[in-house]
Amino acid sequence: MIAFILRRLASAVPTLFIVVTISFFLMRFAPGGPFNLERPLPPSTMENLMRTYHLDQPLWRQYITYLSNAVTGDFGPSYIYHDNNVAQLIGKGLPYSMELGFYALVLAVVGGVVAGTIAALRQNSFLDFTIMSVATIGVTVPNFVVGPVLTLVFAIVLAWLPAGGWGDGSLRFLILPMIALALPQLAVFARLTRGSMIEALNTDHIRTARAYGLPPRAVVVTHAMRGALLPVVSYLAPCAAALLTGSAVVETIFTIPGVGRYFVLGAINRDYTLVMGTVILIAIFVIVFNLVVDILYGLLDPRVRHD
Amino acid sequence: MTEINDSILAVRGLKVDFSTPDGTVEAVKGIDLDVRSGETLAVVGESGSGKSQTMMGIMGLLAKNGRVVGSARYRGQELVGLAPKALNKVRGSKITMIFQEPMTSLDPLYTIGRQIAEPIVHHRNSTSKEARKRVLELLELVGIPEPARRIDSYPHELSGGQRQRVMIAMALANEPDILIADEPTTALDVTIQAQILELLKSLQKRFGMAIVLITHDLGIVKHFADRVAVMRRGEIVEEGTTAEIFERPKADYTRMLLAAEPSGRKAPPADHAPIILEGRNVAVDYSIPGGLFRGAASVFRAVDGVNLRLRQGQTIGIVGESGSGKSTLGRALLRLLPSSGHYRFGATDISGFDRGAMRPLRRELQLVFQDPYGSLSPRRTVGEIITEGLYVHEPDLGRAERDRRAIAALKEVGLDPASRNRYPHEFSGGQRQRIAIARAMILKPKVVILDEPTSALDRSVQGQVIELLRDLQQKHGLSYIFISHDLSVVKAMSDYVIVMKNGRIVEEGETDAIFEAPKETYTRTLIGAAFHV
Repeated sequence: MIAFILRRLASAVPTLFIVVTISFFLMRFAPGGPFNLERPLPPSTMENLMRTYHLDQPLWRQYITYLSNAVTGDFGPSYIYHDNNVAQLIGKGLPYSMELGFYALVLAVVGGVVAGTIAALRQNSFLDFTIMSVATIGVTVPNFVVGPVLTLVFAIVLAWLPAGGWGDGSLRFLILPMIALALPQLAVFARLTRGSMIEALNTDHIRTARAYGLPPRAVVVTHAMRGALLPVVSYLAPCAAALLTGSAVVETIFTIPGVGRYFVLGAINRDYTLVMGTVILIAIFVIVFNLVVDILYGLLDPRVRHD
Repeated sequence: MTEINDSILAVRGLKVDFSTPDGTVEAVKGIDLDVRSGETLAVVGESGSGKSQTMMGIMGLLAKNGRVVGSARYRGQELVGLAPKALNKVRGSKITMIFQEPMTSLDPLYTIGRQIAEPIVHHRNSTSKEARKRVLELLELVGIPEPARRIDSYPHELSGGQRQRVMIAMALANEPDILIADEPTTALDVTIQAQILELLKSLQKRFGMAIVLITHDLGIVKHFADRVAVMRRGEIVEEGTTAEIFERPKADYTRMLLAAEPSGRKAPPADHAPIILEGRNVAVDYSIPGGLFRGAASVFRAVDGVNLRLRQGQTIGIVGESGSGKSTLGRALLRLLPSSGHYRFGATDISGFDRGAMRPLRRELQLVFQDPYGSLSPRRTVGEIITEGLYVHEPDLGRAERDRRAIAALKEVGLDPASRNRYPHEFSGGQRQRIAIARAMILKPKVVILDEPTSALDRSVQGQVIELLRDLQQKHGLSYIFISHDLSVVKAMSDYVIVMKNGRIVEEGETDAIFEAPKETYTRTLIGAAFHV
């Protein structure tokens, strides 16, 4: 098991290298630059800025410099947020994004699995259709619609909850952004669970369990559920990585000081280093959660156990 | 029907139907049946006869769209319509079941020890420690080697036969009154089949439970059952003692089933018929890949130094149990997978031929598979399926000519040419296999490799397909390599037989010599198991 984890971590190095390389050059080939403002800067100022940030050097040299700094943990200065370097920006914002994302993840998984299981057990009933219709709405309505509607209803009309901000970090402030963030993922989990649960309930070994007079709870929870969770667990990795690294839309609507905005803002402003920082962050999360999921998978299914 | 005194399961007027989008399908049409204490009752029928659904209906295990009416009394207690809680007291305790697929009937995610223990804990309120002790006894009883070690194995770590033993252990756990065995050996190799049946017989002697054996295989019934009920299309056509059924069958259908054992022999090929396909020193390795961080690759030798010479008009039967390498050998001879050795097709040395070089020869070397469901594309019409090869090998053929050949090919395999615009799912298993044969025959091949072409078919249909294959061979001077685990079929088809085990030839010779005077123990075991001698 430990050997398996070490092997996987070792293989993460080339993956990260490829991700960094591709994003570095993609970003640089996009037209414009961090200092191309609406009102152009005087050429001399521009020249100074370029020199200060070594942007006047050949691209390959910049790439080498970036790589060698990155391995020491120096992800460079942000070109837009002058007071902080990239590592500081991410270090400050990440705890907020992760806390919110964690709650959203728990809500999405628990809510989705429960809803999907109920729908599967009552297949083609009114309850099933209701749950699945809500799930479809959850997937299709974007969170820049869900967020403002939630704010309007619960913060303005009913005035039960604050409209935004982190406040003192208490649950009151987190409920609305958490729901906005979790809803689409919850819907995906519900659909996945329903599908795999229906399949699991029709397997031969469920027939065996029923033929041996096991009570319905044992049949559903012990035998059907464990098998049905396998595809759900697979989706956990990309979902966890997406939720824990923040959402630009939700964090903007609810003014959460997380890192979700940096990716979008960095890309729009050609803040090269900030984009690179967030890309590396997301890549690490994806790699780590894929590993976690593979370990979970092994625990759930003895056929893919890693020795 | 008169009441039978020692009947412990009395089925009266039992009906099972399924509501489908095309209307209600009656699977069982009101049958009467008695299971007596301690006896073995065989319920025999071909696929779709309702034999399994009868038992599923009684046990409350029908699919969601299924419905059961009528009466099934177990020692006076009505089971049909019984509340789930009360039914669960009977299921797994008084009446237990084993199923056809030991592969899928066990939950892959739990150890066998835990799965056998579950009904013990549930029905007897045992502690898990007591249950584990009982499981060890049971594993010993059903002949699982090293029970103390095996108890913590997962199903995928056991062989098919061992898995079925585990199912039997589970079935015996609560000392049942009735054991329903639904095609318990169909998915197993013949030698394993015999062992499992022996085991069931000896356990029955010891514990005295009644066994209801659901099967399509009359060979099993003859040696195993006390009484037989023959089912057809949801009705019982005949019922009687095993001796009565086999010696004085009354119903035409029973007689037909009894006569359906493949019979007849193939006419031998001409004495100096030329060699058409030859493989020398055929070897196939499957490599289990290594990787950058995974250590070295390992190699599994599936076929090991086999020599084979097929003459024109000859049929070579290749027999062996699953994993013996017989199908792999067939594919290697057709150069469909990487293999070493020397190969000749007619006068051509095809040893070094790659895909491109083989392509023009493909039309003369055809392959027919076991599974007529999986090997026909469900989204194409029969006409499209059988003419597909013509597009490759005779691309210039006009539409009318292609259609003419499709009609001829379908006629030749005994199908209505009008059916070429229909889709595979509209056909029965036997008809589908005819379609697969037509697809090979339309190209006018010289050699056809038949890989278990009759194994998925009912006995009565099997006989017809064998007849068809023999006729086609005679008519076109075809050479066959006939791969099968079913020795009675091989006997009816082949001039020459090769027995394989673990990738090697164990024994080979003329069909009569092999069947009448086998030299090797392994061959004798195979023949003994297949013909119940």
